[in-house]
Amino acid sequence: MGNNFFVYVQQLEMLAFFSGYPLIYFLIRFLTHNVTLKNGWEARIVSILPFAYALIGSLYLGLQLKNLYPDYTIVNIKYRFQQTYLNIWAVMSILFWIPAISKKQVLSILHSLIFFFLVLRDLFFQFAGFSQNRDILKNDMRIYTVSIFLNLAAVTVLALLSFLLSFRKKSQHHDTATGDPSWLGMTMPGKKTTESDAKTDSMQIKVTYPHDNSQLYL
Amino acid sequence: MKQRSEKILLALLVIISITGYITSCTHENQVLPPPATNTPVINRGSGVFLPGTLTVGDTSQWKFDQVHCSVLWSGNYLGAAGLLTGRFNAFGISSISTAQKMQYVTSGQPLKDTSWAFYENDPTKTYFNGYVQMNTSNTGEPGRDGGCYLGYVSAPKIISGTQNLIDSNIAVIKTTQVVLDPNSPGYIVTMVLTWKGLLAAPHDTTINGTLSYVKRETVGAGTASAYDVFGLQLNFTFNCRSFGMTTTEISDAITVQCNMNFNNK
Repeated sequence: MGNNFFVYVQQLEMLAFFSGYPLIYFLIRFLTHNVTLKNGWEARIVSILPFAYALIGSLYLGLQLKNLYPDYTIVNIKYRFQQTYLNIWAVMSILFWIPAISKKQVLSILHSLIFFFLVLRDLFFQFAGFSQNRDILKNDMRIYTVSIFLNLAAVTVLALLSFLLSFRKKSQHHDTATGDPSWLGMTMPGKKTTESDAKTDSMQIKVTYPHDNSQLYL
Repeated sequence: MKQRSEKILLALLVIISITGYITSCTHENQVLPPPATNTPVINRGSGVFLPGTLTVGDTSQWKFDQVHCSVLWSGNYLGAAGLLTGRFNAFGISSISTAQKMQYVTSGQPLKDTSWAFYENDPTKTYFNGYVQMNTSNTGEPGRDGGCYLGYVSAPKIISGTQNLIDSNIAVIKTTQVVLDPNSPGYIVTMVLTWKGLLAAPHDTTINGTLSYVKRETVGAGTASAYDVFGLQLNFTFNCRSFGMTTTEISDAITVQCNMNFNNK
């Protein structure tokens, strides 16, 4: 940990973002192996894990940028990033947004294990008697708990987004196939949207295009 | 095989996490249960301490250990600033009869320190009669102690090798009542302070003070020379203007602390 309190706080920040990922990763993989969901959702949830990790990395980067604001000079960055290599390693997690990298899921777990080992190290020091201060481990475990929830939230958010996008794609596909144009804002005969529409619905079909609200009467 | 390794890794992570939580659990943030009562718990023993005849070697007789005791006084310098403090070099626990108010050519205690009794659990039987020799005040400034101070308190000069117990040189306390303090393990003492000061004759004033008991302990336990000690501390405040003191060098209120130690050697 070093004697610098500032360094310790930075380390806690990294633990808060990344240390919970390994547990969430293996937990979700374990659950998806043992549960069968509709339409192969288990595989999809597993596939978004590296993206969830990238999302966490982006949030971490955001926090660092916020901390640096408004002085983004090299001197300030050097001053702020006391554990340079660890900080760079943490920021590198945004690379998992790149599909080519996120395909190799094991890379994300290897990346996050570095931070989990920091918790493991403090636990070992406590057991080995190198550290008499139990508060360090107590802090670690609190932050670790936060990290687990944060990572779980990231996976949940991405899973929901994935589900919504998939649903929308499906409905688009379905509408194209069945001719139901409701997703485009089309008004079908019998569907009275305004009084004037009601007057003409027996003769006309009004089509409203959502991108420019232009209307077409058929 | 891959799935099995993942299961093992998951189990490992869970075990490490649980171990971390258990190890870090210190219970330090647990809210303590409220006290059963707001009244302080006071446990008084049943010790009885009497001077007897001061027979050396009689462990039932308690001797006043004057050389390890002190009578300290303090008052605000100029009545406004910090404390001006001093101590009396000569004092004792003895009542002084009219006939005994004289000068004694001795370097030791002029009277036997036997005018006291302390009952830990029965304060009605507790009493003290004590005195100080006013001209033995020691503030650490010999020029002041043997000079202007003597004028401020109207005390005679020190005669080397003489203990002076005449009226103009002694301030005496005599307890009239000792009761248990309901809020502490100590006692509340009512006493009469008698001092001539700058008045024509000795003046009596009734004051209250607090008395605390320092529990009996054995010194050198397990050895042939083991003996017991206990202590008493008396605190009180009086108004020096009641005794004709007019100097503005010190505040009206003078606080006195008597630290008394006893042994049964």
